[in-house]
Amino acid sequence: MTLLARTFQGFNQWVLREVSEQCFEPITPRPQALSPLFKLDDEFLHIGEQWPFLLHFLYDAKAHWIEQHAQPLISGIWLEDCQGKEIALEASALYVDGESLLIVHEIERKYGETAYRLQSSRDHLLVEEELEREVARRTRQIIAREEQISLCLLAAAGCRDEETGAHIRRIGLYSAVMAEALGWGIDQVDHIRMAAPMHDIGKIGIPDYILQKPGALENDERSLMETHAAIGASMLSDTGIEMMDMARDIAQCHHERWDGSGYPKGLRGEEIPIAARITAIVDIYDALVHKRVYKPAYSEEKTYDIMSSMSGSHLDPRLFELFQQNLAQIQAIRQQVQD
Amino acid sequence: MIQKKICLLGAFSVGKTSLIKRYVDSIFEEKYLTTVGVKIDKKLVEIERQKVMMMIWDLAGEDDFCKLQVSYLRGASGYILVGDPTRPHTLDRLFCLHKKAQKNIGNIPAIIALNKHDLCNQWSLSFAHREELEELQQPILNTSAKTGDQVQSLFIDLATQMLSN
Repeated sequence: MTLLARTFQGFNQWVLREVSEQCFEPITPRPQALSPLFKLDDEFLHIGEQWPFLLHFLYDAKAHWIEQHAQPLISGIWLEDCQGKEIALEASALYVDGESLLIVHEIERKYGETAYRLQSSRDHLLVEEELEREVARRTRQIIAREEQISLCLLAAAGCRDEETGAHIRRIGLYSAVMAEALGWGIDQVDHIRMAAPMHDIGKIGIPDYILQKPGALENDERSLMETHAAIGASMLSDTGIEMMDMARDIAQCHHERWDGSGYPKGLRGEEIPIAARITAIVDIYDALVHKRVYKPAYSEEKTYDIMSSMSGSHLDPRLFELFQQNLAQIQAIRQQVQD
Repeated sequence: MIQKKICLLGAFSVGKTSLIKRYVDSIFEEKYLTTVGVKIDKKLVEIERQKVMMMIWDLAGEDDFCKLQVSYLRGASGYILVGDPTRPHTLDRLFCLHKKAQKNIGNIPAIIALNKHDLCNQWSLSFAHREELEELQQPILNTSAKTGDQVQSLFIDLATQMLSN
């Protein structure tokens, strides 16, 4: 046995020469580890369907040999069942001194190392994923709890006028539908769902005789009533919380109008924060389709007609168009969220 | 006897090997053992009075560092895309692998296994994922290698599709 042959055998490598289609002649002795797996037929190895992976590799090996590449083409690791045990193998194809060579390696050690490395990294990734899921789950719980507390407080504040808990929840949900339709990210959608219900929080600072007055307000009373926007904005300022900043903008600007005729600042068009423009639309819708002390509940048709006449003057026309496109979802919320 | 090659594709730890073990050997092991390289199992089935030898190629799951060697798909008559809805990002990998398979071996029969159905209370598929799954226009089965639920159907339905293709 040549030194080279012994070396190959020592590394559990078996070198074969292609003699014809799928037929190979060993040129080094078959390593012990491969003996039970590969039986020779008249001193030749015929690679057929019994070794589907190797047969598959021969297709690529053929092209490699035709192009006479001396550098090896590696098959990648595969496993064969042998006497109830799995054997890890790898094959290489190369062209040397006019011969098409196939080397079959038994790679127990390499396989063990690769498997250990891969298993460790994937176990680590799975633990990371699990932790991320747990953080996300708990964050959702915290957000839901905060939202619930905020809705309870808003409902309590709303007891002084006719704002009901359901109205407050609906405003948040309608606004979230609009934000989703605008393609906002999930965080921003969450923010507006929580921020929009706070639009009238400043009414807490308005005296009862104005807030609960059944008839029309006098000019001075109206001026006082309009301060609820500034009061709300002031209450929601300087928290350092992104969602609360959005709530502040909404409280301050939800009575601004697209044409600049609103209050408190007379902002026009896109000077008005978009969250406030959205809230203005859904607040008007909800007020129109529900009964108030000064009006009955209007039908969807009448509401639509009134709001259409406000589009472009009071309401942002582009957002109103989006509102119309998503009206089915808005109406579903209206039906589902009742007092 | 007809011989057909099928491949199982998916992200790592979605249960490809477990589905094969359940189908071929009727066993399930709880512990996750990553697949390295390729393991081919055989199963003889009879479909519409035809004996079919299914050559089931279990390919190592994909992650960012370990990519599918597309040459392994050559000669496949069908493939199973496996996702784990308890880990929704595995669906993104499933969509990528479907595209990769279509690009390399064309439109051959495929079937989607949403695995770990025994943990369906922990599934968190987004609306977008559900829409994207529907857009693939491939049969979808909710499988569980643990309970064996729908595993037989998964392989038989694919084999039936392959025979009629």
